[in-house]
Amino acid sequence: MLAAFAHPVFDSQRSFRELLQAMARPAAPRALPVLPPAPAPIAPAAMAILLTLCDATTTVWLQQPEQEAVRHLQFHTGLKRVDKPQDADFALVTDPFSMPPLHAFARGDLRYPDRSASLIMQVSAFRTEGQARFAGPGIRTSETLAIDGLPGDFWQQRTALAPQLPLGIDVYFVAGQQVVGLPRTTRLLEG
Amino acid sequence: MDTSPHLARPQWMSLLAQSDPAELAAAMDAFAPPADLTWLRPAQTGLYMLRGRIGGTGPQFNFGEITATRCSVQAGDHIGHAWVRGSNTRHAELAALADAMLQDDQQHVPLCLHVIEPLRRALDRRREEASRKAAASKVEFFTVVRGE
Repeated sequence: MLAAFAHPVFDSQRSFRELLQAMARPAAPRALPVLPPAPAPIAPAAMAILLTLCDATTTVWLQQPEQEAVRHLQFHTGLKRVDKPQDADFALVTDPFSMPPLHAFARGDLRYPDRSASLIMQVSAFRTEGQARFAGPGIRTSETLAIDGLPGDFWQQRTALAPQLPLGIDVYFVAGQQVVGLPRTTRLLEG
Repeated sequence: MDTSPHLARPQWMSLLAQSDPAELAAAMDAFAPPADLTWLRPAQTGLYMLRGRIGGTGPQFNFGEITATRCSVQAGDHIGHAWVRGSNTRHAELAALADAMLQDDQQHVPLCLHVIEPLRRALDRRREEASRKAAASKVEFFTVVRGE
């Protein structure tokens, strides 16, 4: 088995601060301050998020529940693993090309929109150039960002959920050491 | 998993946790820690809520909080865990290390001889002393029959 954060309290506090900031300033890549060791197929940046946000009171769905990874997560966080994406507070998507459709995850209900899933998606890279522009709360005019390693219909699926606000799904994308937050309020601008 | 002719793993873990930290450190001094150590969970101190029942029956109630320190270490293929009372991190580290080394067949016997046995005797001695002290303060109550 592998170790987790070297300084569990300080490292998770620093990571939490970055994650807050990533959600407050959507579509802008930020570097995570600490990358803990992680067993395959979990990326170190995704592991940092899981170690920061998950404990015995959160349910987590893993797309590829490898035995070693499950053992590692349960030892270090005590999280509850669920088999159905619908039941998860957090979902770890290690291979976006074979992920279930977005509407399979919890979007909360109208009384408690916060009871929705947060997705942690491992993608291949971020580029701050290209055609894709985002707008919404936390973005002054628009933010340009291209995310590599997503299935072709991902943005269509996400746009289809937009009319359901305040229900929806929040996503953390990770690539290398970087994290991008994409809350449900951020819109992808056309063209 | 029980490789010991005398003590099973839960028993030696319990013994290590209840041992005197100084005695444990002195006993472990003779053993070089394995080269491939990974501290999976560095020693960390926290609180546990103790619950009890009066007389061992009746409903549970919160008795009070207790400070405990836990630690986990991997040595080779073996993972050692320790939960000890108090906030002595060195005690938790040594107990976890001893637990990992005791699971190793080659180190099991020497550790049993030079660490576990002396600690067990010391613990028995402390218990014996405590029970003697308690016995010495025992008060017998007599009822004197009134001569009427």
